[in-house]
Amino acid sequence: MLLKKLTEAMGPSGYENEIRNVIRSEVTLSHNHIFTDVLGNLFVQQNQDTQGPHIMIDAHMDEIGLMIVHVEENGLLRFRPIGGIDPRVLVSKPVVIGDSKHFGVIGSKPIHLQKPEERRQPLGWDQLYIDIGASSKEDALSVVQPGDVAVFATTYGEMGERAAKAKSFDDRVGCALLVETMQKEWQLRLSGVFAVQEEVGLRGATAAAYRLKPDIAIALEGTVCFDVVDAPAHNQATQLGKGPALTLQDGLTLPDRRFTEFMIATAEKYNIPWQYRRVKGGSNDYGAIQKAREGVIGGAISVPVRYIHAPAQIISLEDYQAALQLLTAILTEIQEGRWHS
Amino acid sequence: MKNIIKQWSEMVIPAGSEAAHLPSVLATFKDIADSTEIDRLGNGIVRKNGVGPHVALVAHIDEPGIMVNHIEENGFLRFLTIGSLEAKQLIGQHVRFTNQTRGIIGCEMKDANTSLSVDDLYIDLGVDSAEEAYHLAPIGISAVLDVPFAELGEHRLSGRALDNRAGCVAAADAFRQLADEGRQVTLVFSAQSVVGARGAKTAAFALQPDLVLVIDSAPAGDMPKAKRMDLRLGHGPALKIMDGTVITPLRVKNVLQDAAETLGINIQHEVWPGGQSDAGQIHLSQAGLMVGGLSIPTRYTGQLSQVIDVRDVESLVKWAVAAANQWKA
Repeated sequence: MLLKKLTEAMGPSGYENEIRNVIRSEVTLSHNHIFTDVLGNLFVQQNQDTQGPHIMIDAHMDEIGLMIVHVEENGLLRFRPIGGIDPRVLVSKPVVIGDSKHFGVIGSKPIHLQKPEERRQPLGWDQLYIDIGASSKEDALSVVQPGDVAVFATTYGEMGERAAKAKSFDDRVGCALLVETMQKEWQLRLSGVFAVQEEVGLRGATAAAYRLKPDIAIALEGTVCFDVVDAPAHNQATQLGKGPALTLQDGLTLPDRRFTEFMIATAEKYNIPWQYRRVKGGSNDYGAIQKAREGVIGGAISVPVRYIHAPAQIISLEDYQAALQLLTAILTEIQEGRWHS
Repeated sequence: MKNIIKQWSEMVIPAGSEAAHLPSVLATFKDIADSTEIDRLGNGIVRKNGVGPHVALVAHIDEPGIMVNHIEENGFLRFLTIGSLEAKQLIGQHVRFTNQTRGIIGCEMKDANTSLSVDDLYIDLGVDSAEEAYHLAPIGISAVLDVPFAELGEHRLSGRALDNRAGCVAAADAFRQLADEGRQVTLVFSAQSVVGARGAKTAAFALQPDLVLVIDSAPAGDMPKAKRMDLRLGHGPALKIMDGTVITPLRVKNVLQDAAETLGINIQHEVWPGGQSDAGQIHLSQAGLMVGGLSIPTRYTGQLSQVIDVRDVESLVKWAVAAANQWKA
């Protein structure tokens, strides 16, 4: 099961080794040319000698995580976020640390001992720590070092009506779409990029787009979904189960309207459900790719993810399938010469 | 010049919608340009081959605005802002969409003590159903805040998008003069500047000129209890010493200073630590580019209506031409 394999692999920004190996093993096929760059981006290419537009499809491999920064005398670990994490989601969550996947729990003061004012205050970074059951600093240092990274210990699971939960759908859902796409053989000049360090500032995609000089780029992303209680329709970034989301405007991009309309027309032509991503906050790798060199036309296809950047995230498997259909349809349309910039 | 600035300020070009409006703008350069193009970010680029170092004049043509993100069943529109506009500026304002549809911004009933956000606002198109609204203004279409243009006093102009259409007019004039003189010169109407100098980044990468002169607005501080800023209307255009994105290279600063002295025009000095402009992205393009800023002192930058003095714009044109001519490769 691809989504299970990808979401359960470890890979906070800058530490993408494990997830990169998982992905590499999935796309190592005779029709793919594979290499990495100095940042650790994984490139998977087809038909680089073919005429026609050079298409870059990006999905970032990295996930938000935690970095151990200090070990207390009593063996508790202090940590800092990698990427955007709301500290309020952390308390009492299980995590795994480092290559050895050492188990830990994010701890804090029990409710019995909290003063009334403490109960009203969310816990900040300085009040949280990871407990790995160590009895002393020395004991802790025998298994964990400052600089080791941790991720949530959530496993993949399917639930309800075609939904699934896991820790890192942002952006392993994009990685899965790109893996499935690169497993096929296209008649296109196609470069798949599994990018690093998106969560800390689109760093991998910036270098990858500079290297590739693509004509068209599409970022595959897991994006914010807030369709739950009390959210008015125009505040609902995306809605679960309503199909892949196309960006109106985000924090870094006013996407090229012609390409957006091409994606919409393709979705309509193939009867694929789609929706707009209706909020301005957040961004994805296309924000960096669009501004690479002389500029790159393209956009993003996003799968709605509830509770994004939190320990347990939820997607609709129908949205995943529809996103794959849409990406396949778009590449087919380009392959058949129906995109004109 | 007042009339031309009026015409340009009335163009509807919210950031991201440049490509739709640029063909008619670029067509006016057919008589003098060797080529014109619209690039992938929506920059409008006008080229003239000639002698001497390659000088580019850059003026952003975009303005802040709004974008429809939702249509209610009863035909009201919800929207996102483009650029930094605040909810309290928008209530009761008229909007004009890129397809010329008009509407007015209303606000949900709010408790006096609660803070206001753009999510509380809507646009009334004067229709009663989502179908009618969708016809006039589909999701994704953008609009500007439709504030009227007016002449104030003898030399002053007020209106929407004077930041930076007055700069566009000045850059276009300077371009025509330099082209007439046979200089190697490029004019860039840069796109998506108000959302973060995005067009300037890709245009600079593509063009790599020997000297780039960025023509833009800078805030004046000559109003009652204004934020401290040592620029006054009618006292000449401003030499950008620094803003939040660039410190003007000394060599460019000296050429601009000398050009003004040779011409005998008054200039002021812009020191704007919090300012954003296209200059920073241009300065850092590839191996680095020589960049200078020539600014029009502008009251109420960031508000829906700005005020400028047309004499500052007229002076700026002469100054830009002189500086471009003084630049040695």
